[in-house]
Amino acid sequence: MADRTWPAALDPVVQAFENCFDTMERYELLFEYAGNSEMMLPPDHWNDDNIIHGCQSRAHVECSVDELGLFRMRGGADAQIVQGLMEITRIAVDGSSCEDVVVLNPDFVDAMGFRSALTPSRSNGFMNMLERVRNEARRLSEEHE
Amino acid sequence: MYNIRELRAEFPILSRVLPNGKPLVYFDNAATSQKPNAVIDAMSRYYKTYNSNAHRGAHTLADEATTALEAARESIASFFGASPSNLIYTSGTTEAINLVAYAWARRNLSEGDAIVLTEMEHHADIVPWQELSKEIGVELRFVPLDLEDMCLDMGAYRHALQGAALVCVVHTSNVLGIRNPIEEIITLAKESGARILIDAAQGAAHERINFKELGADFVTLSAHKMAGPTGIGGLLATNEALSQCGPFLTGGQMIKSVSTDGSIFRDGAALLETGTPRIAEAIGWGAAIDWLSKIDFNQMHDHIKSLAIMAFEGMSQIDGITVYSDPTRPGSSGTISFLHERIDSDDLAMLLDEGGFALRTGQHCAQPLMDALGVASTNRISLWLYNTEEEIKSFLSYLRMICERFG
Repeated sequence: MADRTWPAALDPVVQAFENCFDTMERYELLFEYAGNSEMMLPPDHWNDDNIIHGCQSRAHVECSVDELGLFRMRGGADAQIVQGLMEITRIAVDGSSCEDVVVLNPDFVDAMGFRSALTPSRSNGFMNMLERVRNEARRLSEEHE
Repeated sequence: MYNIRELRAEFPILSRVLPNGKPLVYFDNAATSQKPNAVIDAMSRYYKTYNSNAHRGAHTLADEATTALEAARESIASFFGASPSNLIYTSGTTEAINLVAYAWARRNLSEGDAIVLTEMEHHADIVPWQELSKEIGVELRFVPLDLEDMCLDMGAYRHALQGAALVCVVHTSNVLGIRNPIEEIITLAKESGARILIDAAQGAAHERINFKELGADFVTLSAHKMAGPTGIGGLLATNEALSQCGPFLTGGQMIKSVSTDGSIFRDGAALLETGTPRIAEAIGWGAAIDWLSKIDFNQMHDHIKSLAIMAFEGMSQIDGITVYSDPTRPGSSGTISFLHERIDSDDLAMLLDEGGFALRTGQHCAQPLMDALGVASTNRISLWLYNTEEEIKSFLSYLRMICERFG
């Protein structure tokens, strides 16, 4: 496994993607994560306040802190690739401190074999989603200081 | 004889291998076409040997740049059966339509006048008229699509024409590839006394359009969809229409003289070209036109049509795929919109990109058409003169695999 810059919770996820035979298998695994999303934001919660701009398809993310002050997120998207990346991001940040989320490095996506998702112009908008999550973490952190 | 191998050899980008090792299969020609060496070399030669501002100086380079700029105008105008004095260089079709909206419509239309549009229009042929409507109160009438055969409802068009002052219709749909019955549309518009604008951004790359024979008042063009560079296009306008235009942007080459008391403008097409001309781009477009002049458009059309029908028939047999275009229709451009009922259009485009297939997904700047079709977006392949049967076969095989694994 490449030098880890991501939360330990992502280790088995990154490992699973690294073990894939080829790109298509990686996408199949990503679709599985999208389908298995435990904390998907249901479409009836999608609104203009939680929309992620810059995605070609519709994508929404809702962030909060729980009673212990830990970061929580739920995401929902039309596209399974975006939904899968959201679910993996959720695994990375859910239950972390807001300060840790603010500095979350997107290298895990590269390690999983989806380097193209890190290009800002890509229509899947992963970077826009990550930026939104980090900004929300920053805002929530300041609110709870 | 249509020699596809020789033709492809003139487009260096078509031999490109993508970062994942897959050879490029370029199916996004409705967005922009690739450029042959003739165009790349002409623009490079200009910058390397005679880059200078045109119309502005007595030195050799300025003379050469001016000569090349105007020679390109002559080639382009001639290709479209027009006089050079009827061709205004613009940045593309969008600017050309806006130019008509600002320079002609704002001076010749008033509150209560009606403009006929269609549900098939690109946003570039909708929004300038919506802005005009907000400003001066013109009425916009949209001709619907006949969803049975995915073409314009001509009965509704005839009805919409009554008392209309202007008709703006797309020659060929950038979403469906349908070629509208432009000749009939123009004849009916003229009979009713309306001015007519034809958006030929797509159509000009697929058939020889003759401005004089067509009889429209305005035809708008984009160079980059027909082997030319981005950043340039044109407005073809009749002398009569030009005589009714006023200045839109001011300054630069549209000026005849300026004093502290006021300014005198040039007239005709020159009135509508401001600032420093797009010299390199015009030279590139001229080179593209010279290159295209050697292509037999009938053979090209037959070639594209046979590929599009092959793609259409293959895609129609894949479980879950709905095809919204019908390339068997006369004049269709080889643009095919489709969707998979279970794979999101963005996902499908990303997965196809992994196979080296460059195609487009989204609303294609045609949201009213998406609304009419009852979809949020489509995937779209758009073929042009250099695409091959092997590419279609490879695409169908890959698409089938994607649909089986992810659908």
